[in-house]
Amino acid sequence: MIVCVAVVGHQNNPLYIQSFTEADDALKLHHIVHSSLDVVDERVNNPRKSGPTLNETFLGLLYPTENYKVYGYLTNTKVKFILVTTDLDVRDADVRNFFRRFHAAYVDAVSNPFHVPGKKIISRTFADRVSTIVKSFGLSSAD
Amino acid sequence: MEEYSEEWRSPPVSLVALVGCSEQHTLISEHLTSEQHPPINALALPDLSKLSYLLNLHHQRHHHDPDPSTPPAGIIKRDWLLKHSTRFPSVVAALFSSNQVSGDPSQWHQVCSDLDSLKVLIRQRNIKLLIILVVHSSSSPLQPQDDEIGEDRILALRKRAEVESKYLFVFTPDSDDAAQLTQSLNRLGSIFAELANTYYRDEGRRIKTLLDKKTLNSPELNIRYCIKVAVYAEFRRDWVEALRFYEDAYHTLREMIGTSTRLPAIQRLVEIKTVAELLHFKISTLLLHGGKIIEAITWFRQHNASYKKLVGSPEATFLHWEWMSRQFLVFAELLETSSATTQSFSSLPFGTADRSLTEWEFHPAYYYQLAAHHLKEKRSSLEITLSMSANENNSSAESVAPSVYVGQFAQLLEQGDVCTMHPLTDEEYIHYAIAEGKRFQDSFEIIALLKKSYESYGNLEARRKGYFCEFQIAREYFSVGDFDNAKQRFDGVASLYRQEGWVTLLWEVLGYLRECSRAHGKVKDFIEYSLEMAALPVSDIGSFRFKECGPAGPSSMPQREAIHKEVFGLVRGEAGLALVEDNYEFKLDVDTPVHLEIDLVSPLRSVLLASVAFHEQIIKPGVSTLITLSLLSHLALSIEIDQLEVRFNQSECNFIIMNSLSPLSAMSTNQQGCRVESAPSLALVANKWLRLNYEIKSEKSGKLECISVIATMGSHFSICCRAESPASMDDLPLWKFEDRMETFPTKDPALAFSGQKVAQVEEPDPQVDLSLGASSPALVGENFMVPVTVTSKGHDIYSGELKINLVDVRGGGLFSPREAEPSTDSHHVELLGIAGKEGENESQMGPDEIKKIQQSFGLVSVPFLKNGDSWSCKLEIKWHRPKPIMLYVSLGYSLNSNELSAQKVHVHKSLQIEGKTAVLISHQFMLPFRREPLLLSRIKTVPDSDQLESLPLNETSILVVSTKNSTEVPLQLHSMSIEVDDDAIESSCSVQHGGEGLLGPAILVPGQQFKKVFTVIPEGGSSKLTLGTVYLKWRRDFVCEDQSGSPMSEAWVLTKHRLPEVNAELSPLVVSLECPPYAILGDPFMYNVKIWNQTQLLQEVKYSLADAQTFVLSGSHNDTVFVLPKSEHILSYKVVPLASGLQQLPRVTVTSVRYSAGFQPSIDASTIFIFPSEPHIKQADMGAKTPESVAAK
Repeated sequence: MIVCVAVVGHQNNPLYIQSFTEADDALKLHHIVHSSLDVVDERVNNPRKSGPTLNETFLGLLYPTENYKVYGYLTNTKVKFILVTTDLDVRDADVRNFFRRFHAAYVDAVSNPFHVPGKKIISRTFADRVSTIVKSFGLSSAD
Repeated sequence: MEEYSEEWRSPPVSLVALVGCSEQHTLISEHLTSEQHPPINALALPDLSKLSYLLNLHHQRHHHDPDPSTPPAGIIKRDWLLKHSTRFPSVVAALFSSNQVSGDPSQWHQVCSDLDSLKVLIRQRNIKLLIILVVHSSSSPLQPQDDEIGEDRILALRKRAEVESKYLFVFTPDSDDAAQLTQSLNRLGSIFAELANTYYRDEGRRIKTLLDKKTLNSPELNIRYCIKVAVYAEFRRDWVEALRFYEDAYHTLREMIGTSTRLPAIQRLVEIKTVAELLHFKISTLLLHGGKIIEAITWFRQHNASYKKLVGSPEATFLHWEWMSRQFLVFAELLETSSATTQSFSSLPFGTADRSLTEWEFHPAYYYQLAAHHLKEKRSSLEITLSMSANENNSSAESVAPSVYVGQFAQLLEQGDVCTMHPLTDEEYIHYAIAEGKRFQDSFEIIALLKKSYESYGNLEARRKGYFCEFQIAREYFSVGDFDNAKQRFDGVASLYRQEGWVTLLWEVLGYLRECSRAHGKVKDFIEYSLEMAALPVSDIGSFRFKECGPAGPSSMPQREAIHKEVFGLVRGEAGLALVEDNYEFKLDVDTPVHLEIDLVSPLRSVLLASVAFHEQIIKPGVSTLITLSLLSHLALSIEIDQLEVRFNQSECNFIIMNSLSPLSAMSTNQQGCRVESAPSLALVANKWLRLNYEIKSEKSGKLECISVIATMGSHFSICCRAESPASMDDLPLWKFEDRMETFPTKDPALAFSGQKVAQVEEPDPQVDLSLGASSPALVGENFMVPVTVTSKGHDIYSGELKINLVDVRGGGLFSPREAEPSTDSHHVELLGIAGKEGENESQMGPDEIKKIQQSFGLVSVPFLKNGDSWSCKLEIKWHRPKPIMLYVSLGYSLNSNELSAQKVHVHKSLQIEGKTAVLISHQFMLPFRREPLLLSRIKTVPDSDQLESLPLNETSILVVSTKNSTEVPLQLHSMSIEVDDDAIESSCSVQHGGEGLLGPAILVPGQQFKKVFTVIPEGGSSKLTLGTVYLKWRRDFVCEDQSGSPMSEAWVLTKHRLPEVNAELSPLVVSLECPPYAILGDPFMYNVKIWNQTQLLQEVKYSLADAQTFVLSGSHNDTVFVLPKSEHILSYKVVPLASGLQQLPRVTVTSVRYSAGFQPSIDASTIFIFPSEPHIKQADMGAKTPESVAAK
């Protein structure tokens, strides 16, 4: 289950962060997302380690922590997507698929002429779309 | 790692025992532990009885173990490994001295009996036997000893001991040769190693056969045997086998969880986890030491995954978390100590493939952090457990002790002298565990773990993770009441979150900081943190539950408002602040006012932002202009400001805006000397600019800058806010990410983009006249005076200063005085001096008065002038070349006598002055009348312009020097003379004054010429002659200009004109005409043409004479004559004039054949005046002239 998704801007500021959890860990998820930016930085700054994935937007598993796994995605405009899940067994393909759809939703949201680039995303449509994507995560039929 | 006993932490070391000949033990055992590789521990036993005691200690139990019928009481005994590493030797070495063996029969007998009993002892345990025969070389010579022992004795000994021949070792300890001794010891060591290896291999095999029988229906035994096999393999350093069997044991253990029923549930799990931990530790260590980092980390992951869910019964949850925490801690320590970590992981690819490892998992920091996390879980579940079993008697827990088996506990019951172990029920065990748990301060443990993690992340430049640890540390400090440490760390974390705009996280941190300052009683801090929180852009989207949030509650709009109300209640003095200390409620009052400063980087900018814009960038003094003061607050609710004070760098401009609605406005209007404005309302609505326009007037020129705006709310609270220019205002760091309407601080968007908080106040208009009175063009050479007059027309002039600059017109810009000095051009015009008013010369000037003169720059101070007064001076400028220049004069003065507040007013004036040449001097050479020397250079004139003028040598020539007034003013001429240059080597010619000098100054009107005649006679010597320089003294003729008889006109200007050099040359022929000065009609006279040959050669001269109508003449008309060297030939004609008046004599033409030069006298030279009759004026004329010329001399 996805417990948190986040869009992080150029200055590592949160543009959109939403947790989907019933437990009392929403704030902790904020911390986890924030901490994961270190890994994104490291991956981006040391592409050597990423080896063949030089131009890959999908950054893969950033780190496992406590009961969560954190995945990252970096768009061409250097906006970061972070995904936190509690699933123990996650297929890379599912995560890639999720990020692809999430990216599309993000692009649609920022293409809104009333949206100022670099500002927080407060679009309700985007939020609805994200929660749909989150709910369908892991279900192969959702593709 | 300290939890594990020493023998488990390090790889086991083989143990051997030495019996007999105790004096050799130290030597051998030292060699085995230090020199041998791998080392071997040696038990040194003086005699056999000690060994039998050691082995028999465990003898009783030894045989109970493999009994398959009864189920085992535990998995493995706590001291099993210790036993094998300290008590049970793998090899027993029996040392016999050669004396014993070769001695008398009784000694031999003793040896045999000792051997027998030894064999009995070790056979039970398959311990290997080694016989060492110690031969003393020093006591008796080696050779006879050997012979003495004899082969048969050695053979007998070997047979008795039932050992192979290689296990009977002859040792010579006191050999002289050190190398030999070492060699011998090495051999002994390898024999020990071989035997120990055999022993451990045999033991391993023995147990492996038990395992292979498959008859073991108890998993405990299976695990135990696996562990034993693995340990024996470790003894042999067979890491691969050890790892395999440890892993087998681990897996079997994992399977046991659901099936075992041996112990009560909780204790069963505890035992399994304890053993699993031990096995995991062993496996990880082996993997890490083998450099298999990835395998080790993967193994840890699996270990973690398979045990994470095994929480156990609810009351024992804390034990699980404690165990989990320990797993992470131990693994972190293992990683940290394993040197291989740092080298190998950096080259590995991460993160992309399924199930691969991520960067952090290679760093101990990650594990420390999670260890801390699990320890926190443990603490919270322990608290729950404690709260459930709060008041129970813990007496039974005191006697609980670890039992024989690993991971088991038992109650120690004392019955008289005998202690018996009594198994525990789960309840008793939990009591015991709780009592143990209470003894530990988990917070400090957590802080220590997090600190390690923080440091490690710091080294990895993982800032955010580090700060997350820091935050957790601070939270721990906060929970234990160490607010100093907590605040310090929270502050650091807050700065990062502020920077990156993580509002919810910042909110949480600020909530803690607020409580820290409350706990410390720091009211100012409390207010600052509260204000910052009230102005945070929290969103209502994320819904947080109260429980997980910090002391400030969830970040939401209502919570913001609550904090806002609380802090404004406090600052307005309506409510108090309950401080933790002493239960004291704090209120703001007169003694404790609070004043906040908000600068450009303060996080409180979002609380109050002041932008100030002048409507005009340049303002005139005394003329008022508008400024817009805009205030913005992002606080949750609107606030009412009681009073605003606007401060400028010119304190006279400061003003105060009172809120007319405020009750405070009535009482505090007694601000002296400050402008007070009143505004109908100073309500600051959240997120909306409050714009106020006021007029501002400055009397002082220079910069006028708004420094700060001080808002007062309530009587004891004020915020000083640094003023910012709208044009250069930074966004608020947190609000800039909010998607909201952009608003401008000023209504006029242009002003919002360009408005500045600073304006330039111009100087007041000068009320002083500065006039430069130069009338006519300046003349080169004279000291030209430019009168400068300063007239005050309304201003008093204090400390005035006159700056003078001369600038080349063509040169363009102003020369700075320094640049002008070396430049060549500047010397053409020179500022000589500044003459003060009449009667006041430079020496009389006071020492404090500045006067500086340079060639093109001057500075002179102007004395104090009252309104209406005037002061003047004269600039003395000299031109060396004709050149137009620009004269700039600027006067700077201050309006009052106070030097410090010197506000200068400047007046500038400029004037272009032409410099002109006053007189033009020219000269002309002439020959004497009717005398013509032949100058060869004139004949062969090459068309060369710069040829020097030629003068005939030793002949008198006439020099006419003329000077012309080229100006537009009349000049007075004083004198003209030719001076021979000082540097002329010798005077090779004589220049003589033709006539008399001037009697008085001659007036030369513009365009008029003045001529003076000199005679020049070149005399011998060089052909080139320097004639000297013409010195002309003149001055302007100030007839009507200066009524006061100005002394200025006294100075004569000396103009020099250097005469060019001339050529002096000897002329070969001189032709002169001789005739009387006048003739009388009809009266015959002689007309002679003399040809003088000055050469040493015979000159052939042709001549011809043309007839003239008015004369009748006698003599030959033309002929050719030869003139002898240095002699003269005279052509003589008698001429009778036929007409009166100016008549042309018959013209003679002389041609020198040698030089092909012809000569015809000029018309002037051959003209004569014919009187009709004898004139009668001659006498009287002469008489009149003579006395005049005498007087002149």
